[in-house]
Amino acid sequence: MANLTTNLAGIQSPNPFWLASAPPTNSGYQVQRAFEAGWGGAVWKTLGDPILNVSSRFAAVGFNGQRVAGFNNIELITDRPLEVNLKEIYETKKKFPNHAIIASLMVEPQQEKWHEIVKKVEDVGVDGLELNFGCPHGMAERGMGAASGQVPDLVEKQTYWAKEVAQTPVIVKLTPNITDITVTAEAAVRGGADAVSMINTINSLAGVDIHSWNTIPHVAGKGAHGGYCGPAVKPIALNMVAECARSPFINVPISGMGGVSNWQEAVEFMLMGAAGVQVCTAAMHHGFRIVEDMIQGLNYYLDERGIKKVSDIVGKAVSKYSDWGNLDLNYKVVARIDPDTCINCNKCHISCEDTSHQCIDMLKDPSGKSYLKVREEDCVGCNLCSIVCPVDGAISMVELPNEQPPMTWNERQAALQATAVQRLDV
Amino acid sequence: MSSYHEYMAEREKIDFLLQKGFKITAVTENLSGAFVTFERTENNQTEQEALHILTADARKYFSSVLIQQV
Ligand SMILES: Cc1cc2nc3c(=O)[nH]c(=O)nc-3n(C[C@H](O)[C@H](O)[C@H](O)COP(=O)(O)O)c2cc1C
Ligand code: SF4
Ligand code: SF4
Repeated sequence: MANLTTNLAGIQSPNPFWLASAPPTNSGYQVQRAFEAGWGGAVWKTLGDPILNVSSRFAAVGFNGQRVAGFNNIELITDRPLEVNLKEIYETKKKFPNHAIIASLMVEPQQEKWHEIVKKVEDVGVDGLELNFGCPHGMAERGMGAASGQVPDLVEKQTYWAKEVAQTPVIVKLTPNITDITVTAEAAVRGGADAVSMINTINSLAGVDIHSWNTIPHVAGKGAHGGYCGPAVKPIALNMVAECARSPFINVPISGMGGVSNWQEAVEFMLMGAAGVQVCTAAMHHGFRIVEDMIQGLNYYLDERGIKKVSDIVGKAVSKYSDWGNLDLNYKVVARIDPDTCINCNKCHISCEDTSHQCIDMLKDPSGKSYLKVREEDCVGCNLCSIVCPVDGAISMVELPNEQPPMTWNERQAALQATAVQRLDV
Repeated sequence: MSSYHEYMAEREKIDFLLQKGFKITAVTENLSGAFVTFERTENNQTEQEALHILTADARKYFSSVLIQQV
């Protein structure tokens, strides 16, 4: 069995799976049950001035039979009094001294407010703090959460204020509702953050009921924008983690979240630079016990590869993520159809014919039986046919030997410029 | 004509000039494609040829040639 313990900016936990700050971490009862089930850490539901919540709050976006492809909520931070949460954090930490308990915090952007809350939660023995600059709804309308998380100066300043008094590591949780997340991540680092975490939820409207014309969800016939999360947001989250991981200015650990629902996705986040992952929607959908599979799967994965500790995979794929300008323009793949596996549904032909490069020919063999063949010289290797093909293995994307040496767009532009200069010299 | 054949036709024109000793000396690219100037100097006489390259693959091809040249 591999060593699954992680150390994120000094916060130790028995495994990289933490529950994200959200309904699953709303109370001591829940967090203790989660630790019993195997979760390595929990970021407590965001603490702040007790607020009032509405009913209803959640909506799922299903797709093609998948009930929770995406998840949307208009819930705010905790609506329980601070003192109650602090007492339960204290009790939970005492019962589970080796598990990570991180307090998620959100207050108005004022120095004394940050000082006050940091001191209060550290007094009850948390292992770290997570500053919530991400909540896109409700709190943002009051100048907190994403409203301040979208302003780099405010991220930097508030991180600094928290760090002024913090004794434990400070994680800054970033909002994805921004064009370039590295800008706010850098601001957090400038403010002294020990780690960054991402992503919080993405601004969204889950749907509109076409019969009642109400938004989904609605509160007495009125709706408001909410936060999107769950499997649908994973690619967005993964890119944001990767962008931060490859930035030379963001040299602090990353806690990754957004759509993680199994060990494979956790591995993806870790390969792309996350030192650990947080999970919310998947736990809400399937319960705390999903962590058993996550731990077991991760263990097998590491053992199979002879990797002794999970920290060894962190960031291993970051160098593979670059800019478009560094991709080899002369690399070529083409689609190849295996006639023995193909069921002749023609989906690939239609997609290539209508929306790609018209290079899948419908031919007949000598016995008159029709089959499909890719004209490889015209195929641009876009992958579309293999994406739409319903049969595993019927279409494979094959690499062709490079006719020309590798050439990137950046190299090409440099050569064009050099040519213009030479021309002037003639 | 399939885009592969368009590319091959353009590539042949490029190869033809290269075989005759021409070198790429200038490229002007705009929305209509790439205008590539070739030159060769023989017996102190400089000869110039120009090609209008349209296909993406041929633009990649002459760019590879260019990179080897500079
Ligand atoms: C109902 C709900 C409530 C949430 N409340 C909070 C919160 O109080 N504080 C916070 O930082 N994030 C909150 N989040 C965001 C999650 O912590 C997490 O960033 C997001 O859901 C992405 O992870 P996931 O795709 O695994 O759900 C909430 C998410 C949901 C679904
Ligand atoms: S990879 Fe793209 S271009 Fe090639 S056959 Fe498939 S759909 Fe057509
Ligand atoms: S989509 Fe797949 S199964 Fe259907 S015709 Fe194409 S290769 Fe065959």
